[in-house]
Amino acid sequence: MRYIFKFPDIGEGLTEGIIIEWYVDKGNAVKVGQPLVKMETDKVVTDIPAPREGVIAARYGKVGETIHVGETLVEIEIAGEAAAASGTEAPVPEAEMVEEKGAGVVGTLEVASNNAYLPASDEGTEPKPAAATAATAGRKVLATPVARAMARDINIDINLVTGTGPAGRVMKSDIQNYHSSAAPAAARTAPATPDGVRELVEIRPMSQIRKSIAKNMLRSKQSTAHMTLFEEPEVSALVEARSRYREEYKKEDISLTYLPFIIKAVVAALKRHPELNSEMDFEKGNIIYKNYYNIGIAVSTEDGLVVPVIRNADKLTVKELSKAVAEIAVKARDRKLTLDDMKDGTFTITNYGALGGWFGVPVINYPQVGILGIGRINQQPVVADGEIRVGNVMPLSLSVDHRMVDGAEATEFLNDVAAGVADPLSLIMRQ
Amino acid sequence: MDYDLIIIGAGPAGYVAAIRAGQAGLKTAVIEKKHVGGMCLNWGCIPSKAMLESAKYFSRLGMAGDFGVEGLDPKKLTFSWEKGVKRSERIVRRLTKGVEYLLKKNNVETITGTASVEAADTVVVDKRKLTTKNIIIATGSYPRPLKFKVGDESRIINLENMFSMKEIPQKLLVVGEGPVSAEVSQMLALIGKDVTLLKTANRVFPALDDYLNAYISRRLDSLKIKTLEGTGGYDSINLDEYEGIVNCMPRKGIKPTGALKAGESESFYVTDENFMTSVQGVYAVGDVNGKSIYAHAASAQALAAVNHILGITETMNTERVPLTLYTDPEIAQIGKTEQQLAAEEIDFKVNEFPLSANGKALTEAQPEGILRIISEPKYGEVLGVQIISHNATDLISEAAAYMAVESTVWDVAHTMHAHPTISEVFLEAGSDAVGKPVHKA
Repeated sequence: MRYIFKFPDIGEGLTEGIIIEWYVDKGNAVKVGQPLVKMETDKVVTDIPAPREGVIAARYGKVGETIHVGETLVEIEIAGEAAAASGTEAPVPEAEMVEEKGAGVVGTLEVASNNAYLPASDEGTEPKPAAATAATAGRKVLATPVARAMARDINIDINLVTGTGPAGRVMKSDIQNYHSSAAPAAARTAPATPDGVRELVEIRPMSQIRKSIAKNMLRSKQSTAHMTLFEEPEVSALVEARSRYREEYKKEDISLTYLPFIIKAVVAALKRHPELNSEMDFEKGNIIYKNYYNIGIAVSTEDGLVVPVIRNADKLTVKELSKAVAEIAVKARDRKLTLDDMKDGTFTITNYGALGGWFGVPVINYPQVGILGIGRINQQPVVADGEIRVGNVMPLSLSVDHRMVDGAEATEFLNDVAAGVADPLSLIMRQ
Repeated sequence: MDYDLIIIGAGPAGYVAAIRAGQAGLKTAVIEKKHVGGMCLNWGCIPSKAMLESAKYFSRLGMAGDFGVEGLDPKKLTFSWEKGVKRSERIVRRLTKGVEYLLKKNNVETITGTASVEAADTVVVDKRKLTTKNIIIATGSYPRPLKFKVGDESRIINLENMFSMKEIPQKLLVVGEGPVSAEVSQMLALIGKDVTLLKTANRVFPALDDYLNAYISRRLDSLKIKTLEGTGGYDSINLDEYEGIVNCMPRKGIKPTGALKAGESESFYVTDENFMTSVQGVYAVGDVNGKSIYAHAASAQALAAVNHILGITETMNTERVPLTLYTDPEIAQIGKTEQQLAAEEIDFKVNEFPLSANGKALTEAQPEGILRIISEPKYGEVLGVQIISHNATDLISEAAAYMAVESTVWDVAHTMHAHPTISEVFLEAGSDAVGKPVHKA
């Protein structure tokens, strides 16, 4: 049979993508999951994998051309199957791929400074915006075949629809009702001011990204027991270490910031307190301890905050971390982050100090259990050896899921991070 | 209050409601004036199917030689109605015992007597006053009287006495419409009776697709059953020709007596989607509400009513009631007909596969029949299924399952069916619908 593979709706309201590179040609045999084409969307550059095994029978679109969601990308000839229709085939793997764990949200910061609100989301990584609610994460919603076909046809994420059938199964009528209730929303207009010059309020439809952030924030707040601790380590030694090596790094074209030191301090503390590098599976009654250290870093872009992940951060030196940080920052700015760059984080750091922020109460990047907020380093009086002197103080805010992490554990963890950044030499000596 | 629930009538609606209510812990009584099991077990479904099976068996013996059976002289075969009835009585006894046991086991009190409903919470059985929180009326139905004078009324045969008769006269007039008239006519013809069917409506079965109605007419012809149109009046019919007149007229609800008035039409109780009458807490299920003549519909309604009493609301889908005709071959239908879809201006297509191309049907020497799947072209949803086959009443359940989960023709075509089976016709018609039939030219 001939499988017609259309550019899938990868969520977040993306409607089109540009072909960057074709990996396959007509006549090539492809396996499930093998990349077919590199596409650039508003958010990410991502490889679109083959949904079925077979031979490429036709290929549509040249490099640089824009493909809209729903337009055919390739036709795959599948051997030995009885029937064909793109409309009724199983969902394409993209949808499955993103249900992987860890492709969740990052926290929003309720920053107690003049930079009042910094939304953060790894939005680019979640093609099905609200699919992974706590209850449905990782499993397919029950639905009848007609309901699925209809949802695909009219571009409804079936996971968002409440089923009224037996055992909550989504029926055809549920899709129809969902569709008709969702449709008229955009048509509303706001009243004009009496002079007609300017509208008092403006009603705009929420973007998919905003919906996604809203849902993810709520999910984090509703699924976890947030607790936040603060600490103000004196980091003059760190300031000095950075300025001492800054020039040297510059010769290699590396910009040395405080972040690599903080990452090292965090990883060292995570190793001593594995509870903060874990995840709670409450339904099954399990705790999933992760023996890898993938640190998510909140990066501000024009489109909003994204949270790429530095993988295996425990195995990287300060220099390597510096490069990695620079690399993801550039990728984020150029919108080159891929889904792979943003998944599987185990702990998140959000550095609102770079924007002048001070203390914050970060929202946990669920299902992770901890997020560390970094404020700007302040010169302020400190007392040492009975004397007041000018110190450099780094405000740290640690939010943890109190279901998983006890107060004592969190305090010790934060103390360890504080001690690490206060004494950068210890990050090497105690490694 | 003496009871949480009193059920009047212990047929397939009443006893099912009673058992379910008992299981759910409701203090329940069921009142029956004759026999547990009601029309279905005692005079309807079960005895009639037992006798129909006798008739089919008898008629098939004519082919015994083809199957390799020797020593039978088809010309010498005779049919004993009385012995057939004995067999059916054994089956009925066994089934009614089973129901009685289940009622007892689920702590349902069975009261023999005639009930009258005096108020929403009061039922009187033979001068004994019982109070209850809820009432389910499941009293069933009886055939309407014939629309003409018969003269010697002892010739009239009703289903209630047919299966206790020792003998059935030779020359018969079956009067009525609907599945019962077709089934009874065919059964009697198969055992060699001289049958004339007097139709009181244009179509044998108004709810069936035209295709099936046309088939039934052809089949009546081939069984040499004469049909008379009674829609223009009955004056021209010479009733003296017939030794027996079988009343298969449309049925009318049996409404219990009593002071309570609960939204009744002339023949039936009027109920809402939860089978509640106009009086809160008083329900009417089965034949007595006029929604369906089928025992399976009555049982399903009964469960829905008890669920509603328990606070569980699951509206029953009345479009997915399988319609079954125990004719020879059997006929079954579920979902919408072509005529309904055309009237509703819904796009549809029909895909068919004949039993004459099915291996199992040929080995059984039952090649007469067809499967028809009606589907909606856009998503392929199965909207209706019609079957003519000697086992159509069993096959229809597969269609019911497809429709219960809103399956598409793709699902039908992708469901593996064992070979050789009659059910393979689903695979073939499903594949035809998606454009890939294997065994079709």
